[in-house]
Amino acid sequence: MRYDGTRLAGFSAPEKKGRRPGFDEPFFTLSMLLLMIGVVMVLSSSYARAYYDPGNVTGGNAAYYFVRQLVFALLGIGCMLLASRLPMGFYRRYAFHFLILTLVLLMLVPVIGVKANGSRRWLGVGGLTLQPSELAKLAVILSFSVMICRFRGRMRTFRYGLLPFVGILAVIVGLLVLEPHFSASVIILATGAVMLFLGGVRLGWFVGAFAVAAGGLAVLLTFFPYASSRINTWRDPFSSASDEGYQIVQSLYTIGSGGLSGLGLGGSRQKFLYLPEEHNDFIFSVICEELGFIGAALILVLFAMLILRGYWIALHCRDRFSFLVCAGITTLLAIQVFLNVAVVTNLVPCTGISLPLFSYGGTALLIQLGELGIILSASRSVLEN
Amino acid sequence: MSKEKSGAPVRTGPGRQMLRRAIVLASVFGIASFAVLLARLYKLQIKDHQFYERLAIEQQLRSTPSSAERGVIYDTNMNVLAVSASVDNVYLSPAEIESYGEDRELIARGLSEILGLEYDEVYEKSGRTGSWYVTVARKIEREKADEVRRFKSENGLRGVRLETDTKRYYPNSTLACHVIGFVGTDNYGLEGIEARYDSALSGTAGRTVRATNAYGTEMLFTQFEEYCPGEDGFDIVTTLDSTIQYYVEKHLRQAVEDYDIQNGAGAIAMDVNTGKVLAMASLGNYDLNNFLSVSDRDRERIAEAGSREEAAQLLAEAQAKQWRNKALSDTYEPGSTFKIITLAMALEEGAVSLDDMFYCGGNVSVLGRTNPIRCWKTTGHGSQTLTQAAQHSCNVAFVNIGQRVGAERFYDYCEAFGFLKQSADPDENLTATTGIDLSGESGSIWWSKNTFCSEKNLSQLAAASFGQTFTITPLQLVCAVSACVNGGYLMEPYVVQRMLNPDGSVAYEREPHVVRQAISASTSEKLRGILEQVVGDSKEGTGRNAAVAGYRIGGKTGTSEKVSLEAQTGQKEYIVSFIGFAPADEPRIALLVFLDTPSNKSGIYISGGQMAAPVVGRMMADILPYMGVKAESGEENGEAVMPMTVGKSLGEAAEMLGDAGLRYRTIGGGITVTQQLPAAGSSIAAGSQVILYLDAEISQDTETVPDLTGMTYNQARDTLSYYGIYISTRSNVTDSAAQTVSGQSLPAGTGVDHGCIIEVSLIDQDDSILGRY
Repeated sequence: MRYDGTRLAGFSAPEKKGRRPGFDEPFFTLSMLLLMIGVVMVLSSSYARAYYDPGNVTGGNAAYYFVRQLVFALLGIGCMLLASRLPMGFYRRYAFHFLILTLVLLMLVPVIGVKANGSRRWLGVGGLTLQPSELAKLAVILSFSVMICRFRGRMRTFRYGLLPFVGILAVIVGLLVLEPHFSASVIILATGAVMLFLGGVRLGWFVGAFAVAAGGLAVLLTFFPYASSRINTWRDPFSSASDEGYQIVQSLYTIGSGGLSGLGLGGSRQKFLYLPEEHNDFIFSVICEELGFIGAALILVLFAMLILRGYWIALHCRDRFSFLVCAGITTLLAIQVFLNVAVVTNLVPCTGISLPLFSYGGTALLIQLGELGIILSASRSVLEN
Repeated sequence: MSKEKSGAPVRTGPGRQMLRRAIVLASVFGIASFAVLLARLYKLQIKDHQFYERLAIEQQLRSTPSSAERGVIYDTNMNVLAVSASVDNVYLSPAEIESYGEDRELIARGLSEILGLEYDEVYEKSGRTGSWYVTVARKIEREKADEVRRFKSENGLRGVRLETDTKRYYPNSTLACHVIGFVGTDNYGLEGIEARYDSALSGTAGRTVRATNAYGTEMLFTQFEEYCPGEDGFDIVTTLDSTIQYYVEKHLRQAVEDYDIQNGAGAIAMDVNTGKVLAMASLGNYDLNNFLSVSDRDRERIAEAGSREEAAQLLAEAQAKQWRNKALSDTYEPGSTFKIITLAMALEEGAVSLDDMFYCGGNVSVLGRTNPIRCWKTTGHGSQTLTQAAQHSCNVAFVNIGQRVGAERFYDYCEAFGFLKQSADPDENLTATTGIDLSGESGSIWWSKNTFCSEKNLSQLAAASFGQTFTITPLQLVCAVSACVNGGYLMEPYVVQRMLNPDGSVAYEREPHVVRQAISASTSEKLRGILEQVVGDSKEGTGRNAAVAGYRIGGKTGTSEKVSLEAQTGQKEYIVSFIGFAPADEPRIALLVFLDTPSNKSGIYISGGQMAAPVVGRMMADILPYMGVKAESGEENGEAVMPMTVGKSLGEAAEMLGDAGLRYRTIGGGITVTQQLPAAGSSIAAGSQVILYLDAEISQDTETVPDLTGMTYNQARDTLSYYGIYISTRSNVTDSAAQTVSGQSLPAGTGVDHGCIIEVSLIDQDDSILGRY
C-alpha cells in the first residue's frame, strides 16, 4: 500500500489557499439536528424507567440515561469532527488494519464477551461496553471500498468480484452467528451486498444470492421453532400479547395512541414501564406517542434529507473510494433507520435494531457519529471544486 | 497488490455504472423506504388511532375501590347484632419476590408461623412468578396483621403485601341468626337482613381511577386521578328484642330436646298492634360468625359419605337446611290454630253467636265426601256452646261453623286476613305473602276458587274450617291471629324499624302499616274472650298448659298431620303448634311455637296442647314480666313463701311455717333455729318440707338434680325436699296431684347446692280432653 502523491496534494490543497475547505454544512446541520432531538428524546423516554429503576441500575436517578447519552453525544461530536479532519487517504490506508482489528475483537467476543439476554455481543472496556459488530459494519464498508477500487474492471469476475468479498462476509457473519446476533448479520450482509452492487457486480449474482437467502430462510423457519414463532408473533402479535408479542403490542399501543399531534413532549404514558426498551430500540415509538404523526414524520423527513444528502455527497465525490465509502455509510444508516422503524411499527418481524443518533447506547453513538464524520471528510473534496 | 492499469489516472472518479447504481440506491433508501414507513405510520397513528389509544388507556388506568363502611345492625334497644371491623388480607407478589431476589424460604417460614399455614403451601405460592397477586390469608385480625407487618419490615420484604378488608362480627353468634343473616367473603349480604338490606347497609364504595405505571404505582408527572367519593352504609335498628329472642330460643331449644323434635322447630313473637317482629327463631340454628360449619350430627353424616362429591352435596344440603328460616320459608297446614280465623269470620258475619249450641256426635257427613269427617274425640263432645267448641277444639262443630259461613265468604275472609289473593282466573291456585322485609319468604298454597267453592263438594271447605288442605307460613298465621285479637287490623309484619345515617340521625323511620281491617273491634273482643277460655279454663281448655300464674293468656292449640307426607310414605308425622297472646284483655304480644315432627319416644302425648302449649307458657312466663306486664296476684297458686325463722325458737318457727303452708323437719339437737333451707323469701311449692337446723350446720355436699318429668307436682316437690332442694312453678297449679312436670329449669344430672330452687313447668296428666286438633 502506498499513498499517491496527488492525493496527498489534494489533501494539502487548502493550505495553499490559506484556508481548509469546509465540510458539507447541510449534512453536518442535519446530523446535529437529529442528534439533538435524539438526546432530548432519550431524556423524555428514559426518565420513567430510570426513576422507578426496576432493574436496579440507576439508583432512582431520573436523568441517569440522559446524562450518559449527553456525554457520549458530546464525545461523539468530537469523534465526528476528528473523523472529518482525517483525509480519505488515511481511511483507505488503514482499512484492512481496521478490518483485522475488528475480526480479532469479534473473535474475542465469544471468549471474554459480556452476556446479556442469552447472547454474548459486548466487550467490556473499563466501565463501557462495545459491540464489535458496530465496528464490523464500518470495516466492511471501508475494506470493500478499497477492494472494489483495487479490482476495478475485474468486478464482474467470480474470482475477484465475488470470492474475496463473500469470504470476508462469511467470516464476519460466522462470528456473529456464534454470539448470536441475527440483526447485525442481516445488516452486514445487506451492507456488503450494497457495496458489491455499487462495485459493479453482475446483477445475476444477486438473483442467485436472493435465491440462496430465500432457501436458507425457508430452512430456518422449518427447522427452528424459535424463528417460526417470531413469524407468528409478527403476523398476529395480539395472540401472544402477554409473552412473545408483549413488546410489539406495547409498541403498537404507544405509536397508535400518539395520533396526529401526539401527547406532547414528555407526555408519553406508555414509557411508564409498559413499553420495554423505550429509550433504546423502541425510542421511535415514544417519539410517535409524544410528537404524533406530525413529529414522527418530520423526523423521518430529516433522516431522509440526511440520507439523500449523503448520496448527494457520494455522487459528487471526485474519487471512487470516497464515493464508495460515502454511499456505503449512507446506505448503512438508511438500512438501520428503515429496519428500526419497520420493527417498531411491526412492518417486519421483531428484532433488536437501534435507531441511529437516537437510541441510548454510548459506543454505538460514537461509532455512528464517527461514520458521519467520514462522510464529512469526503465532502471536503466535493466543495473543493 | 498489482499496480493499477497503466495510463489510467490513479485518482479516478466513480464510473457511470456506479453513479447509476448509487442513484438507484438513493431512490430506494432515501425515498421509497421512507414512503413505506410514512404510510405505515399513517395507518397506525391516524387510521387506527382510536383502537390503539383505547387499549393503551385501558391498561394504564386502574380503578381502586375505597370501601364504604358497612352499617351496624342493632336490636330495638340498640344492642349490637352485627358490626364490621377492618381486618387485613395478606397476599404475595411472586413476580416482585423474584425480581428483588427475596428469600422464598424465609417468607414461607415467617408467614406459615405467624398465620398458622402450611409451609409448603406458602412456599409454592411464592413461586408463582408470573403473578403479582396471590392471596395467602384472608380477613386476619389486627394483631396477626401487625405481626406480618413487623416481619415484612424487619426483612425488608417487598413481595409480601397487606390490604385492608372488612370482616363482619356477630356478637351473639347464633341469636336470631335467621333474621340477621350473614355476608359472604366478598362482603355481600347473603341471608336475612344482611341480604335484604344489603345496599342500604353497604353504602356506595368510592372509586379512585388513576393513571399508573405498569407496576400499578403512580405515573410520575401525569397526575390523572379522579375520585368518586363513596358513602358509608346506614345503620339499621331492628324491631328484634334480644332479650325476648333469647327467651324464645332458650325454651324452644329445650323443647326440641325434651320432645325429641326430628325436623326442627320455629317460633315467632310479634307485637300484635304494630306488626313488629320481636323475635323470630328457627332451629337448628347456626353461628353467624361461622356460617359454613354445620352441626356435629351433620358433620358425622358427611364424614361417613362414600365419595367426595357425595360429601360436598351433603354439606351443601346441611348448610341450606340450617340457613332456612322455617318461620317464613316453610309452609305447613296450620291445623286447629286456624280455627281462630274460622271463628272470627263466623262471628263477624253473624253466622254464629256466643249463645249458639253445637252438637258433636263424633263425626259429621259432608257433601262430596264418602267418609264422614271424624272428631278427634270419637265418642263425641255432645252438646256444647261456641266457647266450649273452641275450648274442645271440636272439628265437628267447626265444620258446621264453616258451612254456615259459606265457601265464598270463607275465601273473602282468607283474603282479608292475608292468606291468599283472589285472582280473575277462578281455576288458578291461589297464594299470598305477608310482604315482610326479609328475604326468603314463601307463599301460601290454596285451592282455586272453582275447586273450593264448588256447590257439589263441600269437603274442601269442611277441612279448611279446621285448618287442613291448604298450607300457609307460620308468619302468616301470626299476622292473622294478631289481627283477630288487636281489634281487627291486619298489620304488615316488619323487622327493620329505622335506618340511621353514619352521624346517628334518622334517615328512615318505619311506620306500622295497616293492610286492612279484617274484622270489627267488637268481634275481636269476643274472640279474645273465647280464646282466653281455651287457656284459662283448667277443666275444659285444650290450651290450659300454656297458662302462667297471674297472667291472662289466650291462645289455641294445633296438631296437624303432614297429609301429603303420609300419602307418600305412609308414615304419620305431625307438626304440633300453639299460638298464644297476652294479656288477653289488651294484647301486646302474639307468640307462635311450632314443633316439626316430635318423636313418639318422649312418652308425651303428641299434641299441640301437650307439647307446644307448655313451651309458649314458659316463654310467656319470662317475656311478660320483662315487658313490664303486671302479674295479677291474689290467686292461690299452690306457692308458699319461706319465712325467716333463724334465731327463733323451734316452737315459734313451727307456727310461722304452719301459717305459710309449709311443713318442716329438723336437723340437730338444739332448741333455736340457727340455719334454714331454703332462704327466707323464697317462693316454693306449698306443702314443701323445709329444713330447720338446730345448732347444726348445713351440709356443703352438692346434690344431683334428678329427672322430674313425668312426676306429679307433689311427687316432684317431695322427692326434692328430701335432698333440701325445692321447686316452684309459674304454670297454673290447678291440681297439684294430677299435673305432671313437663320441663325443669335445671336439667337432670346438674350438681346443685342444698337450698337450690328449681323452676318447673306443668302439664296436665289427663290428656283425655287434649285433642289432636
